[in-house]
Amino acid sequence: MTVGPTVRRDGGGTVNALDEYWDDLVTTALLGTDRRDPPPPPDGPVADLVADALRPDGAARMLAAVAAVAAVRRAAFVPLPAADPLRPPPGDARPWCSPAAVSTWRIVVREWPVLEDEWVLTVVEQGLCLPPDALVELLQRHRSDAVRRARVTLAAGPAARWVCEHVPALGAPSPRTAPVEAVTSLPELPVPPELHDLLAADAHTFARRLGAGFAAGRYGQPHRAVLMNLVARCRPAVLLDAAESMESTGVGLALALADEARLRHRMLTELGRPTPDLRADPSVRRPGRRP
Amino acid sequence: MDPTLIRTDRRPELAGTRSMPWPRYRDGVVDADPGSSPEANEVSPEGRVWTSEQVAAVAPTPRAVAAAEPLATTVRWISLGSDARALWGRCRGSGAEPYDTVVDHVGVAWRCTCPSRKLPCKHALALLLLWVRGGVPEAISPAPVQRWIDARDQRAGGARPDRAGEAPAPAGDHDEAEPVDDAAAPPDRDELDRSRNERLARMLEGLTELDRWLEDRMRTGLADPALARYDTWDRLAARLVDARAGSLANRVRRLAGLVGASPDWHAEVLAELGLLHLVARAGRRVPELPGPLADAVAVVAGWQVRQADVLAGVPETDEWLVAGRSDTREDRIEVRRWWLRGTSTGRWAMLLSFAAYQQSLDDSFVLGTVVHADLHRYPGGSLRALAGVRHADPLPFVVAAGGPLAVPIATACDEIGAVVASEPWLERFPATVLATPSVLDGRWVLGDASGSLPLTGPDRALATLLAASGGRPVPVTIEWSPWGVQPLTVHLADRVLDIGPRADPTFVGAA
Repeated sequence: MTVGPTVRRDGGGTVNALDEYWDDLVTTALLGTDRRDPPPPPDGPVADLVADALRPDGAARMLAAVAAVAAVRRAAFVPLPAADPLRPPPGDARPWCSPAAVSTWRIVVREWPVLEDEWVLTVVEQGLCLPPDALVELLQRHRSDAVRRARVTLAAGPAARWVCEHVPALGAPSPRTAPVEAVTSLPELPVPPELHDLLAADAHTFARRLGAGFAAGRYGQPHRAVLMNLVARCRPAVLLDAAESMESTGVGLALALADEARLRHRMLTELGRPTPDLRADPSVRRPGRRP
Repeated sequence: MDPTLIRTDRRPELAGTRSMPWPRYRDGVVDADPGSSPEANEVSPEGRVWTSEQVAAVAPTPRAVAAAEPLATTVRWISLGSDARALWGRCRGSGAEPYDTVVDHVGVAWRCTCPSRKLPCKHALALLLLWVRGGVPEAISPAPVQRWIDARDQRAGGARPDRAGEAPAPAGDHDEAEPVDDAAAPPDRDELDRSRNERLARMLEGLTELDRWLEDRMRTGLADPALARYDTWDRLAARLVDARAGSLANRVRRLAGLVGASPDWHAEVLAELGLLHLVARAGRRVPELPGPLADAVAVVAGWQVRQADVLAGVPETDEWLVAGRSDTREDRIEVRRWWLRGTSTGRWAMLLSFAAYQQSLDDSFVLGTVVHADLHRYPGGSLRALAGVRHADPLPFVVAAGGPLAVPIATACDEIGAVVASEPWLERFPATVLATPSVLDGRWVLGDASGSLPLTGPDRALATLLAASGGRPVPVTIEWSPWGVQPLTVHLADRVLDIGPRADPTFVGAA
C-alpha cells in the first residue's frame, strides 16, 4: 500500500504525509473535535477510506481516520537503517562452562550460596569461562562486592568489561580494587577447633568421625551451620564417602548434610575438577568394609 | 472429577436450570443426584407460593440473599409476572440493558441474562423474594418464558410436570449445568440457537455502546481529566463484560494503563482507540465479512469459543520448535505465551496459559526443544492454539548454520507487517532473526545489513543478548508489539538463553 511520498526524518527514520497527518490527528485528539475540526486527510487511500465512510459528524470522521491511519502505520512496519556494529571484545579462547554447570550454580545460589565462591573460582581454575547468562546475573548480584566482582571479571574474561562498558547499569557503583589473595582464595568459614582436623582429613577418617558423631548423638541442629561449613570446605575427595556415611545414620540433619555434600560434588564434577571417587579404587580401605 | 459433583459456577448457555427434586448445596457444589436426598420432593408443590426460608434454602450463600434483598422491590423491575409454573421479570441492573430473569418455581430452575456465575443469581433470588411477598402479579407467560418452560419439559422426556400439575420429574434429570451425555440427550437446537442469538444481540449492543463511547472521547479530547481516572475505563470494561465481549474489556483495561505512562501516551492511546473502533465496526458487520476474517473478528471481539470445540477441529501436526516464552501481567492475572514454530511449515502458533495469584503457569514446554505434537488453532486461522496430542518426547533442536529458521531483519518486518495488515488489532507477533545487538542514535537496536529494530526490555535481557553475541550475529527470537520489540530467546549451538520477561515469582506459585 502506498501511503504517500517518503522523506527522511532527522532522527534517521522516515516521515511521510501520513506521519504528518497522524501528528495532526493526535493534536486534534488532545483538544477534542468539539474545539477543533478533524484535519483533512492527505490524498491517497486513507482519504478515500475516510471519505467513503460518510460519517455525519466530526467525532465519527475523526475516529474513522484514526482507525485507518493507526492500522496502516502498524502494518507499515519497516526497519530503521542498519546500525554500525559494535567493536567485539578481545577474544577469549576459554570455553563456556556447560549449561548443566550453570543450572547447578542457580541451585547453589538458591539453596546454599556459600558454595558460589568456590563455583566461580573453579570456573577460573579449570580454564573455563562464564557463559553470557551467568555473567550478567553474577555482575548484577555482586555489583558492590569488590572481591566477588573481581572474581567474576576474572572468570568472564574481557567480555565482562565489554558488557559493562555498554550496559553501565551492570558496572560497579564505585571503582574499588580487591587484594589478589582475597580474589584467588576461598573465604574462611567458621569451623570449631575440634573439627578443624577434618578439613584436611582423608575420606576414611572424615566419614568415620562424622558417622560416629551422628550415631552417638553428638551433632544436633545447633551444629548444623558449622557442619555445613565443614562440608563446604573439606577436601572434595571425601564428599561422596562422607555423604554415604551420613546417609547410613538415618538422622535428619545427617541426611540434609549428605545432600549438600552431593551437591558440592556435582558442582565440582560438572566443572571438570577432579574429585576422585575413592570407592572405585580397590586399594582404598572403606569404613565398615573388609579390605 | 467425581461425576456426581458439578460446580455451581459452571455457566453454559442456559446455566442455572435445575430439575426437581431440590438440589443440595454444600460448599459451592451441587449434588447432581438429588434423588437420594431425604428432603427430595418435600417442597414447592405446584402452584403454592414459597416461603422466605425456602428461598434462602436455594441461595448459594447467605450473602446472596442479602445481595438480593435490595432488588426485591417492584421499582427495580419491569414486565413482572407469574403463573402456576413460572415467575419472570426484567431487573434494572448495572448493565445498559435490564436483565431478563425467569424462575420455574415448580421445576425449581432459574435463568437470567446477567453475567453472574452464582446460581441462582441475586436477580432470581430477588424475583422469588418479591413473589413470596406478593409483589409479582399473575399474568399470562410471555412467549420466551413459555418456550423455556416447554424446552425444559421436553428435555425431561415428558416426565416434567405439565401445567395441569403432574408428578415431579425423576431424580437425576439432566439440565444444562450438568455433564450431558450427547447420545442420550441431544442438545435442543432451537434453544441453542436462541441462546446464541441472544448473546450475539447483546454483544452487538456492547459494540455499539463502545463505539459511542469512543466518539465521545473524540469530542471531549484526550486531555479530558476523566481519562486519567481508572474508573472511567473500568466502567466501560464492565459494560463490555456484560455484553460478553470479555477480550475487548481486557483490552480497555490494558489501555487504561497506557494513560500517562510515557511521554507519547496520547499517540499510543489514540492508536488503540482507533483499533477498538475498528473492532467495534467490524464486529457489527461480522455476517458480511469473509469466513476466516469473520471468525478472527468474532474472537477478538470476545466471542467465546469452547476449548472442546477448538480441540475438535482439524489438528496441525508438526515438529514444533519451542522458540520463545514471554510472561506479562494483565490486570490481576499473569499471562504466559509460548511461541512455537512448525519446523516444516514455518508457521507460528501461540499457546496461552493464565495464573491468578499463587496459581501456576504452564511449564510443560522447554525452550529450544522440538515437540512432535498436534496443535489446534482457534477459528479464523488464529495464532492462538491449544496443544493436543504429543506424539513423542521433546528433543533438543539442533541449530543449523544461520540459526533456527532465522530470517534477516527486513524479512521479519515484512512478515510482521503482512500479519498486522490482515489483523490490525494484533498485539504481539514473533520472529526469529539472525542479527547483532548494537546502538543506533543512543538506543539499543537489533540489526543486520538490511536494517535494525529498536529493542525494549530490561537491562538484564539486553546485556545477556549482548554478551551472547559478542558483537557477532546470533539467532534471536523476538516478540513484536506496538510498543516495541522484545528479545525472548538467544539460540546458541550448545544452549538456549531464555531472556524473555518473566512472571513475578512472588505472584505465581511453583508448578
